[in-house]
Amino acid sequence: MIKTTFTRRSILATGSGLALALALTACGGNVAGTSPAADASKFPAGPVTLTIGADPGGSTDLIGRALAENASGPLGAPIPVVNKPGANGALATKEVGAAKADGQTLVILNASLFAITPLAVSAGETVKIEDYEVITGISQDDYVLVSNASSGMKTMDDLTKAGKKFNFATTGVGTGSQLAQALLFKQAKIDGTDVPFDGGSPAMTALLGNQVDLATIQLAEAMPQIKAGKLNPIVVFSKERNQYLPDTPTAVEAGYDVPVSQFRAVAAPKGTPEAVVTKLRESFKKAFESEPYKAFNKQNLFTPAEIDGDQVAKDWSANAAKYKELTTKYGVDLGSGK
Amino acid sequence: MDFLAPVINGFGVVLEPMNLLYCLIGVVIGMLIGVLPGLGPAATIAILLPLTYGVEPVTAIIMLSGIFYGAQYGGTITSVLLRLPGEASSVVTVFDGFALARQGRAGTALGIAAIGSFFGGTVAIIGLTLLAPIVAGFALDFGPPEYTALAMLGILLVATVSNGSKLKSIIAASLGLLLATVGRDTFTGEARFTFDNLSLADGLDFVPIAMGIFGLGEILYNLEERHNKVQAPAKVANVWPSRKDLKESSGAIGRGSLLGFFLGILPGGGATIASLAAYAMEKKRAKNPERFGRGAVEGVAAPESANNAAATSSFIPLLTLGIPANATMAIIFGALLIQGVTPGPQLVQNDPELFWGVVNSMYIGNILLLIMSIPLVGVFVKILRVRAAILAPITVLITLIGVYTINNSIFDIWLVIVFGLLGYLMKKFGFEPGPLVLAFVLGSLLEENLRRSLLVFGGDAAGFVTRPISGILLLVFVVVMLLPLLQKAFRKVRTTAPAVEARHHEKEKV
Repeated sequence: MIKTTFTRRSILATGSGLALALALTACGGNVAGTSPAADASKFPAGPVTLTIGADPGGSTDLIGRALAENASGPLGAPIPVVNKPGANGALATKEVGAAKADGQTLVILNASLFAITPLAVSAGETVKIEDYEVITGISQDDYVLVSNASSGMKTMDDLTKAGKKFNFATTGVGTGSQLAQALLFKQAKIDGTDVPFDGGSPAMTALLGNQVDLATIQLAEAMPQIKAGKLNPIVVFSKERNQYLPDTPTAVEAGYDVPVSQFRAVAAPKGTPEAVVTKLRESFKKAFESEPYKAFNKQNLFTPAEIDGDQVAKDWSANAAKYKELTTKYGVDLGSGK
Repeated sequence: MDFLAPVINGFGVVLEPMNLLYCLIGVVIGMLIGVLPGLGPAATIAILLPLTYGVEPVTAIIMLSGIFYGAQYGGTITSVLLRLPGEASSVVTVFDGFALARQGRAGTALGIAAIGSFFGGTVAIIGLTLLAPIVAGFALDFGPPEYTALAMLGILLVATVSNGSKLKSIIAASLGLLLATVGRDTFTGEARFTFDNLSLADGLDFVPIAMGIFGLGEILYNLEERHNKVQAPAKVANVWPSRKDLKESSGAIGRGSLLGFFLGILPGGGATIASLAAYAMEKKRAKNPERFGRGAVEGVAAPESANNAAATSSFIPLLTLGIPANATMAIIFGALLIQGVTPGPQLVQNDPELFWGVVNSMYIGNILLLIMSIPLVGVFVKILRVRAAILAPITVLITLIGVYTINNSIFDIWLVIVFGLLGYLMKKFGFEPGPLVLAFVLGSLLEENLRRSLLVFGGDAAGFVTRPISGILLLVFVVVMLLPLLQKAFRKVRTTAPAVEARHHEKEKV
């Protein structure tokens, strides 16, 4: 198995340009170095690849890169970041799940992929948290329900009393944005039409242009417009109030059972030796404590959620069950693809 | 003079040696990645982001934006020389650019493209300087119904850009529309034509399709041709565009720049539609439209000016509204946040030095690019002197590596090969590849926005006509569709009484 990988890489490397050749042979050498069995004392044996299932530039990518930069020192090995976008991250996540369990290949997990996406797509396209060794939780990225300031809608009361039908923009099918709004409006008995957009930025643009009445987007994206007074924050969907938006109530406070946040974690394939996981945990812990990383979280309005890996797996499974129960209870259907 | 003071201050910022150096580094990197097929500006900027942590925000953004517009210059080179469009916005450049290269006039094509890009970029920067806050509102008025109308117009224009049989163009375009439906349904999560393959869940990517159909398909076709007749390597003459070429393309450059500026402000497919519309407009205006696709300089000048103008004007929504218009802008948005600068409606007031520094750096960057690209044209054109037996395998290799680097995906390499075979067969049987690729790009834009509009309207399609912008766009759509019939009618009139002026007038409307 190791042998074949090595040969294939070497052939590819010889055929390609000089720079690529150097990069890949270096890589091939490391793979060979770990044989015959993954030995925890020799970890890390060369660069530890961090796979990100999203395009460069998004929140997941920014978090991954900030972590990689600050954890590679404590780990004593470079942590190159590789983007493999596709299927909301399921592609990269599945690929790392099937990689050799030696700690050399890691992936950033998005909670929505495990707890929310399965409510919208077919079983073959989903992933299970049990198939991963979660190293540590990373942070929490909150969703906020916003209206265009010109509409005058500022609170949940304004919405329920308006007695009209609302078009609400979501960041896509099977996302936290869609789930949170669908559940909220069902519980508040507000008549709404779900209008999916391809991500947060187009959804916000549509709201700013009054193409839709409401939208739920990630806080970092909405904040500049909230500060400029163009958007009114109505509720945040986190369990507790968000530190960056302390005056906005949570949906739970407003009386609705809709706790939805985007959590992220870093994971290795199932079966990674305990000693390797511990070493990785320690390195990421040091990264979390570093000043540049703390400043990064603040700038991007992420709330640290540096929860122990085993707890992450439990929390996410519980969330998945809770969302399933809520959608059944309120008759919310995220998609017909499941 | 209150208005001019911050603008002039901005020039002061750019002319600091550190900023000039970073501007130069940015445009050089941009041009290089533009030449390499595959690796796009978005990925490059994301990878280089950490390098900018240590410098001033304005310096960082000057470099990152240099990468972005530098890539637009570089991307033309592979479109013209190797028929490999790196981005959707340079697909139409391929038609005449590559035809010119085969006639030994690659230098002319590249020179005109560089001049057109410079002019388009400059027009857009002046527009950005003077009009940014006013035109920004225009982007917000473009909702799903307007995009639907724009995509319909775009698909109609696709039929006019190709030469050859109309029926075959329509067949190719239909295939493109069909390919656009592959992937997870963005409204219901339903898997469409994915055959349970996760790599297809997000649908097919533009780059592997364009590179396969244009690049690999062309190479395969040429290999076959060489068996039939010995083809001498293209002679390379006139590296510099002649005065006649410049004169012929000056109008196209001007019109392309203006069109590109306005369409570039729209989030989403602005630059692609701009280049397509600019090309179609030139072809419609031309006295001999049949020259297009066979090496018309205007066919290179118009789309290249348009896509560069669009690239520059796509900064307007970001810097004035805080809305990223495309993937690259989204990353620059992230870069600004990391620097502690919040892009949004208050940026111009709160950070005038940053705003004007970045805007003015584009003037300098465009001049740098023009100075660099004109002499480099001669160097790049020498590529064509390499024998096909050597050039072809190298091109294939670069293409496959380039495609792999985008998503780090082996699957994409297979896509290039499959679409390469398709491109070869299409060419062999006389189908134009252009309509397929363009319809593919516009197809998903049309479908998503049509469905989104109907959701917003509550199922009532009358909204398309009653909203002013979408109504006007649909009217233009109808006019363009009926134009051939009208022209026929006028031609009949002309046989009895010359009605040249009336006919001319009719064309102006488009």
